Order: sequence, then structure tokens, then C-alpha cells
Amino acid sequence: MVGLVNAEPPEKLEEYKNVLIFLETRQGKLAKPGLEMISVGSAIAHKVNEELIGVILGNDIDDLVQEAGEYGCDRVIGLKSKELKDFRTIPYSVCMADLIAELKPNIALIPATRNGRDLASRIAVKSKTGVTADCTELDIDPTERILMARRPTYGESTLAEILCKKHRPQMATARPGIFSVPEKVPGRKFQSEIRKTTVKKENLKKEIVSFKPKSTLDLTSSKIIVSGGLGLGKPSGFEMLEKLAAEIDGKVGASRPTVDMGWIGRDHQVGQTGQSVRPDIYFACGISGKAQHIMGMRLSKNIVSINTDPEAEINSISDYIITEDLYKVIPELIEAIKKKKGGAIAPAAAKSA
Amino acid sequence: MGLKIVVMIKQVPDSQEVVIDPVTFTLNRSAARNVINPADENAIEAALRIKDKLPDTHITVITMGPPFAETALLDAMARGVDDGLLVSDRAFAGADTYPTGLTLAATITKIGDVDMIFAGEESTDSSTGHVGPGVAEFLGIEQASYTSNSWIEDGYVYAERELEDGIETVKMKPPSLITVVTNANVPRNATLRMKIDAIRKGIKTWTLADIELKPEWVGLKGSPTVVKSMRTMNEKKREGKKFKAGEMDKFVDELVSKGILKL
Ligand SMILES: Cc1cc2nc3c(=O)[nH]c(=O)nc-3n(C[C@H](O)[C@H](O)[C@H](O)COP(=O)(O)OP(=O)(O)OC[C@H]3O[C@@H](n4cnc5c(N)ncnc54)[C@H](O)[C@@H]3O)c2cc1C
Ligand SMILES: Nc1ncnc2c1ncn2[C@@H]1O[C@H](COP(=O)(O)O)[C@@H](O)[C@H]1O
Repeated sequence: MVGLVNAEPPEKLEEYKNVLIFLETRQGKLAKPGLEMISVGSAIAHKVNEELIGVILGNDIDDLVQEAGEYGCDRVIGLKSKELKDFRTIPYSVCMADLIAELKPNIALIPATRNGRDLASRIAVKSKTGVTADCTELDIDPTERILMARRPTYGESTLAEILCKKHRPQMATARPGIFSVPEKVPGRKFQSEIRKTTVKKENLKKEIVSFKPKSTLDLTSSKIIVSGGLGLGKPSGFEMLEKLAAEIDGKVGASRPTVDMGWIGRDHQVGQTGQSVRPDIYFACGISGKAQHIMGMRLSKNIVSINTDPEAEINSISDYIITEDLYKVIPELIEAIKKKKGGAIAPAAAKSA
Repeated sequence: MGLKIVVMIKQVPDSQEVVIDPVTFTLNRSAARNVINPADENAIEAALRIKDKLPDTHITVITMGPPFAETALLDAMARGVDDGLLVSDRAFAGADTYPTGLTLAATITKIGDVDMIFAGEESTDSSTGHVGPGVAEFLGIEQASYTSNSWIEDGYVYAERELEDGIETVKMKPPSLITVVTNANVPRNATLRMKIDAIRKGIKTWTLADIELKPEWVGLKGSPTVVKSMRTMNEKKREGKKFKAGEMDKFVDELVSKGILKL
């Protein structure tokens, strides 16, 4: 506990070096959002000739340490204890803050997942520094070694650049699904160190009573999303969208009212209170384009609107506009895709037919 | 003595009334009414449900904000919260999450003997989700973030955390802090009677002097981070090319030839 004190800047900023990342684990495996920190973290570290240090907390972590090195960490530190088997705020934040105090990294990055945000804020307060939440762009100023942390704000309409000039480490959480997972290179050289630690009893008061796994849909990393809104008119409309999505290897999204009515699961919801997505192509089928929906999808590279209303708000941010009944258009679209696929495999046959 | 609960709430512009300008893609907030941050409404409801079961529970809602944030506190009181406390001082302006957490933690310390603290998962205008856990760290207490349900049993606080890969149920001793996800529950409405009672009762206001923090520790001065610049994210101009039914072959050809769809 730090008590009620201010964020104190350290005296010698130049002592702080390297980029430290938290490699989140889920059910004994390295989780994707943590691996994404490797690509962005090493880009930043190497730009100023520093190292990327990956940190893994857990009990059964030897293989994970190896894996993290193969994914591209210059150095991997594993903190091992049976008390660290599952994520718990206090034991994890104490271990991370102690490590930060010892290693003095210039930058510390944590995935902006639920446990990541739970943890990041506590580490920042313990380390008496600032943390920029949910960044979608991260870069470093090569001379001053200042982290330029950029995050969408005001409902994804503006990108704010936030700096932490005097406090160390400069911390940020990074939005999952934005940075890529680097390629694993077996046999890649890196330094590794596994330390056995113990957690003080007073820090182990929270007990995990149970964990019920559920598979939730992650739309944030989808390249293709086919979303449906109230314009579908009935729950079975989503079956047609599933068919279209299956043809193009996409996933199905939804507007909030369709979720509220129980037409489809909440994990499909896109928007302010759902997931923020930025696929290569977003099909908005029977979606009007209200502000809360647009906030979650307007960064899509391409937007297709299928809507009977030529004045629908979604049309003002669409690359392609199809002003028709979706029940007419989507079956035609599926057919056209099938035909094109058939043609791609055997163009000659298709021509002669 | 019953339980003593604090709910931290923030007043935000109503996102239903905030419109995105289609040209500049900035939010037009000027027209928007101020409301309780949606997740904080769920946090208030979560606290009230504990009071429903344990009626001698005392709930205080607190907010750090400008004087007009009083309306958010009165709204919460009209739903059944006992007291409203506004922490307001010019010195608090421009705070990032560190001094915000510090200010709220100092307020809670001054209230004294608090068993449970509720917060929203995140605010719609800052959307960091860092303030709740920050307060827990300043106070050195346990926390459960992103909860959809919480209850008290045999003197323990139980909470269900909604994680990406499942639901985790945790058990901890008070004092502890809980952050509540948006839509975790259906917040109750205020009755007219209670609205009148809330206005009659009024709120309490504390300033920096009351919470005994140094002026340079709070607000903009106490913030480790600074916003260097803002840029509009209208990087893409959308053509709005039209296709009709019956032209889907042409449409698919276009998507494929531009490399947008790979079949
Ligand atoms: C605090 C808050 C948070 C919110 N968060 C979200 C969120 O995260 N995500 C979200 O989506 N919403 C959210 N909303 C709700 C949002 O304001 C809108 O109500 C919602 O997005 C509208 O959904 P819709 O487009 O499916 O329905 P509607 O607005 O009813 O639009 C239906 C559209 O379908 C078209 N249509 C009808 N029939 C056909 C047909 N046969 N073929 C083609 N088109 C047809 C209509 O022309 C219309 O444009 C939130 C609201 C609040 C207050
Ligand atoms: N100024 C404030 N006053 C009271 N509570 C706040 C304030 N700012 C944030 N909170 C609480 O912290 C939660 C998370 O906010 P944020 O970290 O801004 O996303 C909110 O849902 C509130 O419960």
C-alpha cells in the first residue's frame, strides 16, 4: 500500500531503460493480447537500442518462458510460485511493482484486457507513475525516449496523444486486437531467468471460489464482420447472416437492440457498450447507424450499408451503399460469392458453361 | 451497526444525445444533458441490492466534479441512497487517473470505516477503468473488477467477475472495492416522493481543505500524464458507391479486385 501520496517523479530519469511487458496467461497458456505486446514492445525498444523484457507470472511456466523468447522477447523473466497460478490483483501487482522497482524499465506495457486493466492501475499507483489506458498506437521519441501513447477518445472520434514526461516507468495499456502477434521462431536466442518467489500471506486474502469457462466471441481481431440490426425484423435473420459470414470467413456482429431482444448473444454486440472493431470490411445489414453503434465500427477499413432507407445515417460513413431489402440482396450476394469462388477455382470451366 | 458503503459516481454527457458530426467526426457534446455514467448506475443498483437485504446498510454516493454534478448525486439519492457528497474544488480540475484516485481515496478515508466501495467498470467520457482499482490501491484493499453480481454472505464479499474467457467467482473480506459492468442489472427508477425528499435533504460538499491533500498533489498539477495533442480520426473519406439488387456479381468483382475480399 502506498498510502495517500502523490505521484513522485524519480531524480535520475536516465537510469530507466528498456521496455517491460506483462505477458498475460489464461488457463496456463500465453494469451494473445500479451503476445501482441511483444510486437509493439520490441519495435519501441529496438528503435532506441534497448531490450524487450517479457514477464510471466504463474506456477507451471517453464514452457511459457521458452515460448515467449521464441516469439521475440530479448529477455524473459518468469516469477514462479503456486500462489501465482491464477491471476489475483494484489499478489500480481506486488510482484510486478517489485520487479519494476528492481529493473527500472523506461516503459511498461500491459494488455488492456480485463485483468490487464485491473492490474495496470494498481501497478501505476504503487510505482507512483501515470498510465495511459487502451492505446491503439504506441511509439517512442528516439531522442528523449518519451513514449507517445495514443488512444481514441470521445467515442472513437479523436485520437489523443498522451505523454508521461517526468514519471517512470511510462506505462500504457494497449487495446487487444490492434497490434499483431509476432511470428514464433524456434531456436531464437534470448536470455531467460526463472525465479522462485513467495507471496506474503497478508497478500493472499482474496480467494477464487470457482471459474466457469465460457467461449466468447472475439470480434476485435476479425478481418470480416457481417452485422445485423433491427432491420432483420426477426431472430432468424441472423441465420442468413451466418451463411454470408461462412462464405467469406467472417464473423457475425449485431446492434444492441437485437441483442437486448435476445435474437443473438451479447458477445456479438458492436458499439459503445459492445466491442470496438476495425475489420477490413464491415457489412451493416439493417442497421441505422446511431452514434453508439458507429463508435464501435467507424474505424473499419471498408463499410457496406445494406438498408432500405436511402437516408440512413450509416450511409454517410459507408464506402458502399445498397439501398434495398436485405432479404433480397443478401441471398444474391451469397450466390455471387459462390459463383466467383467457383470461377476462381476453374475459370475456364465457368466460361464454357 | 450495519454496513457502510460508498458508491463512486461520475457525471458524464448523455451519450444518447451526443451526436457525431458527420463531417469532422467530432462529438457535439454541447447539446447533451449530463447524466450519471451508465456503469455507475449499475454500481448504485448493486449497492442498493445489498441494502435491500441488509436494511441498516448506509450508502453514500460521492463524486469529484464541478458544482453542477450535484444533480447526479440527487438522482442517486432519489433511488434510495442515503447521502450524497460532492468533492469539489478548482484545484481538482484537469486530473488524470492518479490524482482522481487519490482525491477519492482521501475522501473515503475521511468518511471513515467504509466496508465496501462500488464503482463503475469505466466512464463513457474517459473510459480508462483505472480509477476504481487506483482507489483500492491507495487504500490498500482487495478489489474485484468487472463484476456482474455481488453479495454478502457470512461476513464475506462475493463477486462474479466477467472475464473474456469465463466467469470467476471471488471471495474476500471487507473492506473491498467492486467495479460493476454496464448492464449488470436493471437500475431502479426514482420515485417522485423520493426525488422531493432528496432535494429537501440536499448534499454535502467538501473542498480540498476537507480532505487534507496538498494542492500540488491534485488536479492537473498532480497528474503524471499530459494530453499533448488531439487529432480527428477522419483519415478515411468514404465514397458511398451505390450498387443495386441484381448487381451483386459486379459488387463482388469490385471487392475482390480491390483486394478487400479474398475468396
Ligand atoms: C448508453 C447507450 C449505449 C448504447 N450502446 C450501443 C451499442 O454498443 N451498440 C449499438 O448498436 N447500439 C447501442 N445503443 C443503441 C443505439 O442508440 C441504437 O438504438 C441502435 O444502435 C439502433 O439499432 P439498429 O440500427 O439495429 O436499429 P434501428 O435504429 O431501428 O435501425 C434499423 C434499420 O434497419 C433498416 N431496415 C428496416 N428493414 C429493412 C430491410 N428489410 N432491409 C434493410 N434494411 C432495413 C431501417 O431503415 C433502419 O435504418 C446504445 C444506446 C444507449 C442509450
Ligand atoms: N470524478 C469522479 N468522481 C467519482 N467517481 C469517479 C470519478 N471518475 C471516475 N470515477 C469512478 O471510476 C469509474 C471508472 O472511471 P474511469 O477510470 O474514468 O473509466 C467510474 O465508473 C466511477 O465509478
